[in-house]
Amino acid sequence: MARDLRVVTCSAPVNIAVIKYWGKRDEVLILPVNSSLSVTLNQTQLRAITSVATSKSFTRDRMWLNGQEEDINHPRLQNALREIRKLARQEEGDHFHICSENNFPTAAGLASSAAGYACLVYSLSRLLQVDSELSAIARQGSGSACRSMYGGFVKWEKGDRPDGRDSIAVQVATETHWPEMHALILVVNAGKKIVSSTVGMETTVHTSQLLKYRSEHVVPHRMVQMEKAIKERNFEEFAKITMQDSNQFHAVCLDTDPPIFYLNDISKRIIQLITIYNSFDGNIKAAYTFDAGPNAVLYTLSSQVSQLLALVSHFFPPDHTSESPFVIGLSQTTPVIDKKLAEQFQVEPIPGSLKYIIHTKVGGGPCQLNDPKQCLLNGDGLPNRELHHTSPM
Amino acid sequence: SSLGTAHSRALMHLGSVYPSSNAHQLRAITSVATSKSFTRDRMWLNGQEEDINHPRLQNALREIRKLARQEEGDHFHICSENNFPTAAGLASSAAGYACLVYSLSRLLQVDSELSAIARQGSGSACRSMYGGFVKWEKGDRPDGRDSIAVQVATETHWPEMHALILVVNAGKKIVSSTVGMETTVHTSQLLKYRSEHVVPHRMVQMEKAIKERNFEEFAKITMQDSNQFHAVCLDTDPPIFYLNDISKRIIQLITIYNSFDGNIKAAYTFDAGPNAVLYTLSSQVSQLLALVSHFFPPDHTSESPFVIGLSQTTPVIDKKLAEQFQVEPIPGSLKYIIHTKVGGGPCQLNDPKQCLLNGDGLPNRELHHTSPM
Repeated sequence: MARDLRVVTCSAPVNIAVIKYWGKRDEVLILPVNSSLSVTLNQTQLRAITSVATSKSFTRDRMWLNGQEEDINHPRLQNALREIRKLARQEEGDHFHICSENNFPTAAGLASSAAGYACLVYSLSRLLQVDSELSAIARQGSGSACRSMYGGFVKWEKGDRPDGRDSIAVQVATETHWPEMHALILVVNAGKKIVSSTVGMETTVHTSQLLKYRSEHVVPHRMVQMEKAIKERNFEEFAKITMQDSNQFHAVCLDTDPPIFYLNDISKRIIQLITIYNSFDGNIKAAYTFDAGPNAVLYTLSSQVSQLLALVSHFFPPDHTSESPFVIGLSQTTPVIDKKLAEQFQVEPIPGSLKYIIHTKVGGGPCQLNDPKQCLLNGDGLPNRELHHTSPM
Repeated sequence: SSLGTAHSRALMHLGSVYPSSNAHQLRAITSVATSKSFTRDRMWLNGQEEDINHPRLQNALREIRKLARQEEGDHFHICSENNFPTAAGLASSAAGYACLVYSLSRLLQVDSELSAIARQGSGSACRSMYGGFVKWEKGDRPDGRDSIAVQVATETHWPEMHALILVVNAGKKIVSSTVGMETTVHTSQLLKYRSEHVVPHRMVQMEKAIKERNFEEFAKITMQDSNQFHAVCLDTDPPIFYLNDISKRIIQLITIYNSFDGNIKAAYTFDAGPNAVLYTLSSQVSQLLALVSHFFPPDHTSESPFVIGLSQTTPVIDKKLAEQFQVEPIPGSLKYIIHTKVGGGPCQLNDPKQCLLNGDGLPNRELHHTSPM
C-alpha cells in the first residue's frame, strides 16, 4: 500500500467532426492546415475513463490501456506528460501511474485516441490541480483530442503561431444548447487494414493540390456557416455542410498519391440511402459523415431518430447468425419500418453489413468521477484486476 | 479525362489528351447514304432504328450540312455499328459521332475542320477525329469555334504504347456523364480549382511527356488525373461514385506493381464507369497481362474468351512476382480484357462487303452486330 498515494479518476468523451481535420502544417506540435468543428458525444454511451495516481514510491511512469501495459516512451505520450508537468511546474516531480479504459472496442474505429488523450490530460490537471488552457496539451497527444476537452459543439481553431499556442479548442455551444441532436454510429464489419490517419494525412499534404485549396478557400467559410447553423439550430444547414465536408475530405484522400480509400461499398450505400431519404418531402432529415474508416455517423434530430433507426436497420439488417445485440445505447430495439416508406427506396437490404448500431446524442465535456468503485487503480497504484474492459453499454 | 459543360448548346471542354485505340480492336463503322428517293433522315445503330430527332444528332447533321452548303439538300440514311458491346461502357458515343461526322464529310466532299462538329454530338468525339495522341483545346470563344481537337503526335510516334481494357462485370445503373458533370459544375468548388489551376499545367507536362516518349511522366500524370477526376465526382452534391471495390483493387495492384524496382511500368485510368484502362509499353504488356489475369481471373464457369485483341491467351505469371503482392485473386471480377495499342484516326473503307446499307439505302440484314474481334 502506497501511503502517500493520490488518485484521481475522470471520464472524457468521443467527438465526431462535422468539418474535418486532415493535414498538419507542423508534425511535431500537431498544428493543422485548417480549422475543424465537432459534436461531443454523450459519455453514457461512449467514454474513456482514466485513473491517474502519483506517489513517491513510484520509480517510473507507467501506463495501462484497456488492460495492457503500454510503452510510456511513445513520443506523443511524452509530449503530453511533459507539457502538463510544465504547467504544474513539476518537471522534477513524482512519477505517474496511468490506467485507462474505453467502454467501446478500440477496433471499432471510434476515435478512441481523442477521448483517451483528453481524459489523460484532464485527469492529470485534476491531480496536479492546474487550472489552465488544457486543449493545446491534449492536441499534442492527438490532434482531435483537443476537441474532446469540451462538451456540446466544439471548434479547433487552426491558429497561426508557429509555437501553436493559439491552436486550441473553443466551445461553440454547450450540450444544453441543442439537446435534440442525436447520432447513430453505424459500426461496419471491418475489412482490411486501413491507412492510419497520421500517415494518410501527411501523404495528402505532400501530394494533393486540392487539399491546399480546400484548407485555404473552402474550410474557413464553412466554419463560419457551420457555427451560425449551430447557434441558430438550423438542422438543414448543419446537415448540408456536414455531408459536403465529409465528401470533400474523402475527395482529397482520393486526390492523394497513392490514393487513399476509406469509404467502401457499404459506406456508399449508406450515403445513397440518406441521399434518397433526404429527397423525400424536400426536407433534410439526416446527415452522414465518415472519418478515416468505413464507419458512418448519422446525425439527426430526436424527432426523426426512430424513423432513421428503423430505416437503417431495415436496409442493413444484422446477419441472421449474429447473436449479440444489434442496437445499443439510447435505443436497444429496432423500431419497425413503415412499409410504404421502405418501398420508395427501391433498393434491396444487405444483411450483415453492420456489426451494430450505437444510438447516442450530444453530451458534456470531461468530468471527475468521485465514486471510488470506478477507480481503475488499487491501493498500490496498480491496475485494479477486478475491473475488466467493459463491452459497450 | 474530360469534365465540364459551360452551356448546353455548345460543349466546351477543359482540356484532355487521349491516345486513339487501334482500329482493329475497337471501332465504330458507319455507312451514310443519300438519295433523292429518301423522304426523311433515318438512323440505325447496332441494328436498331434510332430517334433522328435527338438534339445532339440534329446539331451534328445541321452543322455538316452548313459546311457543305446543303441545308436544303437530300436526306441521309445512316447505319452504324460498333464492334464492341455498348454495354461495356467503352465510350462508344465518341467513336460513333466521330464516324458519323467523318462519313458525312466524305459523302458531301467537305474538307474542313470537322472536330468542332463531332464535339457538338458528343464532347469527347472530337478527339476521335485524329489518330495517335490528341488534345481537345478548351477554347475561349463563346461560339466554340476554337474548341477543337489538335493532334499532339501521330500513331507512329510512340507505337510501343499499348493498352489493356479491363471490362468489369457491370453493376447497377451509373450516373450518366452528361448529368454527372453538370451536377459537378454546379456543386463542386474543387472542380473550379482543378480546371483553372491544375489541368492547364498538366496539359503542358503531358504533351511534353508524349513528345519525349517519357513513360514515367506520362503514367504519373495519367494516374493523378484519373484520381482527381474521381475526387471531384466525390466532391459533388450528391456525390458520384464511379469507382467500385474492384476498381480500387486494380488501383492497388498497379500501385504495388509500380513500387517494385522503383520503375513505373503501368498507368491506370478510369472514366465515368468501373472499367479500367491500363497503359503500358509493349515490353511490359505481357507481364502486366499475366498479373491482371492472375489476380482477376475469369469465373471458372465462364466459357467466352477472356483475353481478346492483340493477345488472345493469358501469359503465365512469374510465381515469385505474384507472391510479392500479398493479395488474394478475386475470380469473376472482370468480364474480359481487350489488348490494344495506339492507332490511327478515322478512315474510309472501300471494300463494298463492309457497307452496312444495301442498294435501297436500308440496313443490310446480312451483316449482324459483331462481337469484339
